[in-house]
Amino acid sequence: MVFPATTAEAPSLSPTIEDRAVRATLACVARHGLAKTTFDDVAREAGCARATLYRYFGGKGQLVRITLVREAARLAASVREAGDAESTFEDAVVAMVIRAARELREHEALQFLFAFEPELVLPHVTFDAGNRFLVGAGSAVAPALSRFLPAERADRAGEWLARVVLTHALSPTRPIDLTDEAETRALVHEFVLPGLLGPQSLPRG
Amino acid sequence: MQVEPRERVLEATYACVARFGMGKTTVEDVVKESGVSRASIYRLFPGGKDQLLRETVGWEMNRFFARLAEAVYDAPDFASLLEEGLVFAHRAIQEHEVLRKVLETEPERFLPLITVEQHRVLDFISAFLLPYLEREQRAGRVRPGLDLEAAAQYVARLVLSLIGSPGRWDMDDPEQVRSLVREELLGGILV
Repeated sequence: MVFPATTAEAPSLSPTIEDRAVRATLACVARHGLAKTTFDDVAREAGCARATLYRYFGGKGQLVRITLVREAARLAASVREAGDAESTFEDAVVAMVIRAARELREHEALQFLFAFEPELVLPHVTFDAGNRFLVGAGSAVAPALSRFLPAERADRAGEWLARVVLTHALSPTRPIDLTDEAETRALVHEFVLPGLLGPQSLPRG
Repeated sequence: MQVEPRERVLEATYACVARFGMGKTTVEDVVKESGVSRASIYRLFPGGKDQLLRETVGWEMNRFFARLAEAVYDAPDFASLLEEGLVFAHRAIQEHEVLRKVLETEPERFLPLITVEQHRVLDFISAFLLPYLEREQRAGRVRPGLDLEAAAQYVARLVLSLIGSPGRWDMDDPEQVRSLVREELLGGILV
C-alpha cells in the first residue's frame, strides 16, 4: 500500500468520476469481497457507463490501485487531523491512535478483507512489504507530531505509532482495544510515549 | 530415540513443503516421507492437508522461537536480551530458506496461517520475558508501579512486529538496535 503525503500526489483524474468509482469499489468490496467484485459491478454501483469507467481506469487492477492510494491518503489525513486538534503531545498521540483504530474497525471493505480474504491484505502489510507500509504510514502521519518533536524524531515516532496500531489490528486476540479511550490512554501513557521522546528523556546508566 | 508419530508427521510435512511448496504438497507425500500410514495421519489430523499445513506452520514457529530463546537466555540484563534477540531473530529470518521460499512463491497461502498462529507465539514470548522483567524489578531497575504482565505483553507484541518487519531499523547496526530497544521498547519500562 502507498501513502502519499497528500492526495495531490495521487494520479489526477476527473475528481467526480474518481470519487464515485472509489466509493463504488469500496461498497462492492464490503458486500462481496475483492475477488468477486467485477468491473461491471463497480460501474453499476457508481451509476457510470462501463465504457466511461473503462476510459478512466482501463480495468479492475488500476481501479483497485487508485482506491488503495486514495484510501491510504484519506486515512492518513484523518489521523493527522485527529492529532492536529489536540494541544499536548500525549493528547495528540492518544487521539491519533484511537482515530486510526476506529477508522480500521469501521472500514467495512477492510473488515470484509480481514475476515474473508486475508490472503489479499496480508502480503501488503507483513514482512518486506510491511517495511514499506510502516515507513510510508509513519511519514504520512508524522506532520501531526512535528509541533512536538524534531523532524527526524517525528518520522520515527510516526512509524512507531503505525506499528502499534498495525500489530493490534493483525493480532486476532486483543487484550487491548485501541478504539477505547481509557485503554489507549493507559497504553500510550505507560509504554508508548516514554519511548518517543528521545534519549534526553532517559536517565543515563 | 522413539519419535512420536505426530512429531514425525509434522517434520515430514515440513520437509515436503521445503521441497514442493505448500500448494503442491499432498497427504500422500507426507505418508511417503514420514512412514506413517494414511489412516494414522487422518486420525492425528482429521482436517487433512489444511490442518497439516496449519499445524506445521505453528510447529516451525515454536521451533524458531525456542531456538531464539536458547540463543539469548543468559543475557546479562533485559535490554541486552532484547538487543541480542532482535539481531539473532533478524538473521534467522533472513537465512530461513523455507520461509523465504514460501514468502516468495506462496505468500497468499502462508501469511493467513502465521497470523492465525500468532497469538500462541505472543503468549510464548511474553511468558519467556516475564521472569527477566521480574529480575529487573528485584534489582530496582524498572519504573515504580510497573505492571509486569502488561509490560511483557507490550514488548512481546512489538518485538514480534520488529522481527517480521524492522521498518526503518537496520538490525545489522548495533547502535540502531541499542537505540530502538532502550528508547521505543523500554523507555516506559526501565528507569
